Amino acid sequence: MRLEELFIVDGDVHVHESPAALAEYAPDPWDVALREIAKIPERYMDLPGLSPHGELSIPFPGGLERDTTVTSAAEMHEELAELHIDRAVLFPDHLLMIAKLPNADWAGSVARAYNQWLEEQWLAEKDSLLGAIVVAPQDPAGSAADIRRHAGRNGWRCVYLPACAVEPLYGHRSYDPVYEAACETGLPVVLHSVTTVHPVFPFQLHAFESASARHSVAHPWAMMANLTSMMETGVFVRYPDLQVAVMEAGMSWMPFLMMRLDKEFSEHRRAMPALKKRPSEYLAGVYVGTQPIEEPPRRGDLLKVIELFDGEDRLVYASDWPHHDFDHPQFVAGYPFDDEMRRNVMGLNAARLFGIDVPEGPYA
Amino acid sequence: MPEDVAVATVSELPEGTHKVVRAGRRELGLFNVGGTLYALPNLCPHQRGPLCEGRVSGTVECTEETGWRLSWRHEGEILTCPWHAQEFHIPTGTCLAFPQIRLKSFPVRVEGDAVLVTV
Repeated sequence: MRLEELFIVDGDVHVHESPAALAEYAPDPWDVALREIAKIPERYMDLPGLSPHGELSIPFPGGLERDTTVTSAAEMHEELAELHIDRAVLFPDHLLMIAKLPNADWAGSVARAYNQWLEEQWLAEKDSLLGAIVVAPQDPAGSAADIRRHAGRNGWRCVYLPACAVEPLYGHRSYDPVYEAACETGLPVVLHSVTTVHPVFPFQLHAFESASARHSVAHPWAMMANLTSMMETGVFVRYPDLQVAVMEAGMSWMPFLMMRLDKEFSEHRRAMPALKKRPSEYLAGVYVGTQPIEEPPRRGDLLKVIELFDGEDRLVYASDWPHHDFDHPQFVAGYPFDDEMRRNVMGLNAARLFGIDVPEGPYA
Repeated sequence: MPEDVAVATVSELPEGTHKVVRAGRRELGLFNVGGTLYALPNLCPHQRGPLCEGRVSGTVECTEETGWRLSWRHEGEILTCPWHAQEFHIPTGTCLAFPQIRLKSFPVRVEGDAVLVTV
């Protein structure tokens, strides 16, 4: 099956929001701060005050050095067209680390500036580009208002919950306004993490020597921690219309989490008292991004994993373009799926999740 | 039938440099490692990335021979794919992470100033 024959929706690509661009949309005094940050030579997602990453790895020549960024809608549209991607959901670069920012007013203002910038500079430019409204977890009320402000306008398709370094975890009642706004506007919430060292659960990542070790566990841990937290406080029960998706953590941890929580639930039902059915039955409603897709030596083994979490209808192709560990659609479509599953994974599941019209064609 | 194709001139490829060339319908990477020329396919076996557009460097090893300490080895002999950073040893085409994977290596010879590759 050729890529041209598929309607390909990419659940996760990244735009580069420069501090100078955001400054145009930020209120006093944060516009001044953003212009000050803009004077600092940029390193890859590592800017003081905005994306304070704090890399611990020791640099050597060669090796991984992919720090590509995409800075305009036209550029993104062109690059995705080359990859045969028909629609893509845009996530930020720097703001992946927004939960690390200790000043709630700053974090909320930066998120609002980004959302307005994305709407005007990206979503208004290309129909292929779809938006994820950035939530500042430090400012749930402000974020809920921003969700209501943007929802329904051109291109917005989901709410982005930054899952890196977030405290409290997303089951906490303080996020209820965000979930209410998401349900009210009919937008799914998408958890997306990133790797950084920060002294909150689940990121005791300074214990590792390499960025690779941190990266291996940071993303799946972030998802497992937040979904467990959401299970504890009954988010899935209290917001039955809420659609939840996770990006950039791969998928093979999902059967583990389902079985682990089911086991706990059988012994400690009162620890998850709101649940009306097994945890796995709630998790079975969560959409899962493919990237970084697992590459078992026998590729077909991944289909067994997908079967274990019943993922055929909820697996969403994601490239993570232009980041270092992106998955080419040709590579993902090349897994031994049957044609129907291939169409679902590469686009139709995402179309259902994000409310995207599938154009006429040989797709369905 | 294999044929010899002129793909570059010797002066275009000083020691320690590499470039991507076309040989018939193939794209190859030409490498000058310590005065020896190598030609490898510009196609990564992982996700078909443009392998030979990557950087050449050494790499870090940690073996019994290094006393299980990190050591910088193979300076100038390691090619890293620009897409997902898989490393290959240029003289042998061997993938460092998965040594059972070896790139096809094309014979290279010099005639006068011409670099010829057999493809």
